[in-house]
Amino acid sequence: MSLAIPYRQRLPLGIAALAFAFLGLFLLLPLFQVFSASFLDSEGTALTFANYTKMLGRPFYRTAIVNTLEIGAAATIITTVLAVPLAFALARLPIPGKSAILAMASLPLILPSFVSAYALVLLLGRSGIVTQWLQAHGVAFTSIYGAGGIVTVYALTLYPYVLLPTVAAFKAVDVSMEEAAQNLGSSPARTVWTVTLPIVMPAILAGGLLVLIETLENFGVPFVLAEDMPIFAVEAFKLFIGETAPNPSSAGVLGVLLILTTAAVLLVQRRFLGARRFATNARQAPPQLKIGRGLQALATFYCWAVVILALVPFFSIVVLSFLEFRGPVLHPHFSLENFSVLFGRHVRPLLNTLIFATAASLFVTIIGVPVGYVVTRYRSGVASLLDVVATLPFAVAGTVLAIGFIVSFNSGPLILTGGPLILVLAYTVRKVPFAVRSASAIVHQIDASLEEASISLGRSPLQTFLRIVVPLMLGGILSGLVLSWVTVASELSATVVLYSGPWSTLTVVMFQALESGGAGIATAAASFLIVVSLLPIVFLYRLVRRYELS
Amino acid sequence: MSGIVIAGVSRIFGTVRAVDNITLTVAQGEFFTLLGPSGCGKTTLLRMIAGFSDLDGGEISIGGQRIDKLAAHRRDIGMVFQNYAVFPNLSVAGNVAYGLKARRVPPPEIAARVEEALSLVQLSGFGDRQPHQLSGGQLQRVAIARALVIRPQVLLFDEPLSNLDARLRVSMRGEIRALQKSLGITAIYVTHDQEEAMSVSDRIAMMNAGRLEQVGAPVEIYRKPATRFAAEFMGTTNLVEARMLGLAAPVSVSLRPEALRFAEEAPADWPRLSCVVESLEMLGPITRLDARLANGTTVRMATLDTPSLSVQAGQAVTLAYDPARLTVVA
Repeated sequence: MSLAIPYRQRLPLGIAALAFAFLGLFLLLPLFQVFSASFLDSEGTALTFANYTKMLGRPFYRTAIVNTLEIGAAATIITTVLAVPLAFALARLPIPGKSAILAMASLPLILPSFVSAYALVLLLGRSGIVTQWLQAHGVAFTSIYGAGGIVTVYALTLYPYVLLPTVAAFKAVDVSMEEAAQNLGSSPARTVWTVTLPIVMPAILAGGLLVLIETLENFGVPFVLAEDMPIFAVEAFKLFIGETAPNPSSAGVLGVLLILTTAAVLLVQRRFLGARRFATNARQAPPQLKIGRGLQALATFYCWAVVILALVPFFSIVVLSFLEFRGPVLHPHFSLENFSVLFGRHVRPLLNTLIFATAASLFVTIIGVPVGYVVTRYRSGVASLLDVVATLPFAVAGTVLAIGFIVSFNSGPLILTGGPLILVLAYTVRKVPFAVRSASAIVHQIDASLEEASISLGRSPLQTFLRIVVPLMLGGILSGLVLSWVTVASELSATVVLYSGPWSTLTVVMFQALESGGAGIATAAASFLIVVSLLPIVFLYRLVRRYELS
Repeated sequence: MSGIVIAGVSRIFGTVRAVDNITLTVAQGEFFTLLGPSGCGKTTLLRMIAGFSDLDGGEISIGGQRIDKLAAHRRDIGMVFQNYAVFPNLSVAGNVAYGLKARRVPPPEIAARVEEALSLVQLSGFGDRQPHQLSGGQLQRVAIARALVIRPQVLLFDEPLSNLDARLRVSMRGEIRALQKSLGITAIYVTHDQEEAMSVSDRIAMMNAGRLEQVGAPVEIYRKPATRFAAEFMGTTNLVEARMLGLAAPVSVSLRPEALRFAEEAPADWPRLSCVVESLEMLGPITRLDARLANGTTVRMATLDTPSLSVQAGQAVTLAYDPARLTVVA
């Protein structure tokens, strides 16, 4: 043995080394560039704090920070208030059509939120269909633009982040806890407040903090709905696009502040909640609660209302895409004009979207699965550092990462700007945390002794990983792949910064159509995106079912 | 020769010495058991032999070859796991063939050896079954066949029976022992169940807090426990100060419950103890009773059931003990 590294640690260390090399080049380097841009003067030569004092000295940017945080907080609270009763009802109450509700409730996670925002504009904007109808009937409604609209879209598209973990948590509550409370004289209602809710609280908070992070980073929704209201991620984008000096110092400052905010929330989420997980080992889901007919009808109505309301914007955009637009004005005639324009003029972006999503989702899987395996199986300093670095992209807004990419790969030994690869790499980095999380969740369910059995039978750790772990993870790997494919296809925030020339995507087409008032193409592109997002999920669902049946 | 030599082996987790300077020799063909409570280091020691835990000191060799620096998959050691670890994505035959394929054995030979191994564990004809179609006992047989088929130098068992129900445990341990003896393979077996350890082992190493308490044949450890821990862990015993029994020496002694009898049934030269019955436990074939001596010490006694046995709690009785079965413990 020439190497001093014990054999058992070679596979994880090898994977970690490759992952660190990739993330170092395409995550840490761009972030460092953004960071250093914020501390250099506009020529990029002298170190200075002036950028920070300049930016924070302007009321406009201070307002942007306050707006972003206020909207984030409001969206988080409303989302939580909306989702927790829904979760309770789905976990514990007799609601007809439960599995349909749950399936529909997870759709907003894969459908692009800015499409929902855009649908809201078409319905409730200044010349929106509903707005006009309301005004014709004498209701003094002007428009949905501003904080109210943004919070509404966030609540309708982000509530699954709270709902799904909370449903799981409610189902994992050991019923004997509740029985103990009632045996000690607590009424059923009081038991829910004093026993059940505190047990699921960590899941609720974890979901809520995810919502907060998503709102802080989101670019598309405020871009569509904020109008003149300054919002963090949007202003960073505008500053970067508008900055002419060699060093993007102002955008750098906003980028750093945004990263610090989201990283702080993420840190709270991981540190505070990590220690506060109440383990209740329920053997089976707790039983349904008995409630009166009136209450049951009310709960059923509530569940269906929330789920359907969240999907109304997507549904209406599909309907609208088949109507005739003249510029931004809608005419109620059936027409395929929008699609013929889309498929006629924008075939290239359409193909780009499909190719980029395929390439990026494959990269993400190839990186995410081994990394998820290492951070779950091996407890060492290297593994936890890898975990932190691989989670970091989650705290970095797409716009900020993209700015870092431009600064890093515009010159020097590795030039990527102007080509397609820069987009694929940015997508890959952005989705790595999700791939690592989902891979890690599957590895948790695979008994480690299976790997030891394979090794003791003579297979090396690498062969064991490929022959035992990967086959057992296959279902999960496939669904992770499809999920990253779908979310990459509708990526907007990094794309608008990074695309160039012929390498634009469907979301860029939408983005440009929105800016130039070409609503027709935007709706057609949005519809296509919705279909493209739903098809793989349906395919996956059928595949998984067949897999489980066999 | 595939005897195992474990020399001064240690494993430290933080401040805990999970395995603390253990030295052992296991002979070729021996059925050797590591016995102790959970956390005593027995599983860690087994995993060090298998190559799944690093050594912080010491050496392990098999048949004169040092193996502790060898990668786990090159050690040629069969291992049977507590939770079977049967690969759920492979058939029974696929599981058994797994190690042979890793060794690039030609396919016709694989088929023959798989069939042979399955018949050894009485699973002939089960090759095409999927693991989820098998019971726990059958799964563990698959795991044993899978470990045997590679003809390892050493077979390791990590609490292989603890997930099975009580009756199956008893019959399986007999089978494991018979199989090991017929193949003449060296086996190391980890368990926390002293009855299981006594029934299968040639020798037992009793472990506590990372250290060896006593190594010896089952009967030797039972009859002559070297320490208080060994005496108490191996069955039930009365650990009393010698002077409580009226002896002069300032030592602790172990007196097994079955070494006590009612005075009327005991030889005349056995020392007598007068006491009061505190409680009775009728277990079917035997009856246990706790009796308090005049000086307050409680001793436990066990006697076979007889029609004449009629004792009540609170009754004064005279007991006698076999002085030859008193063991001084450290």
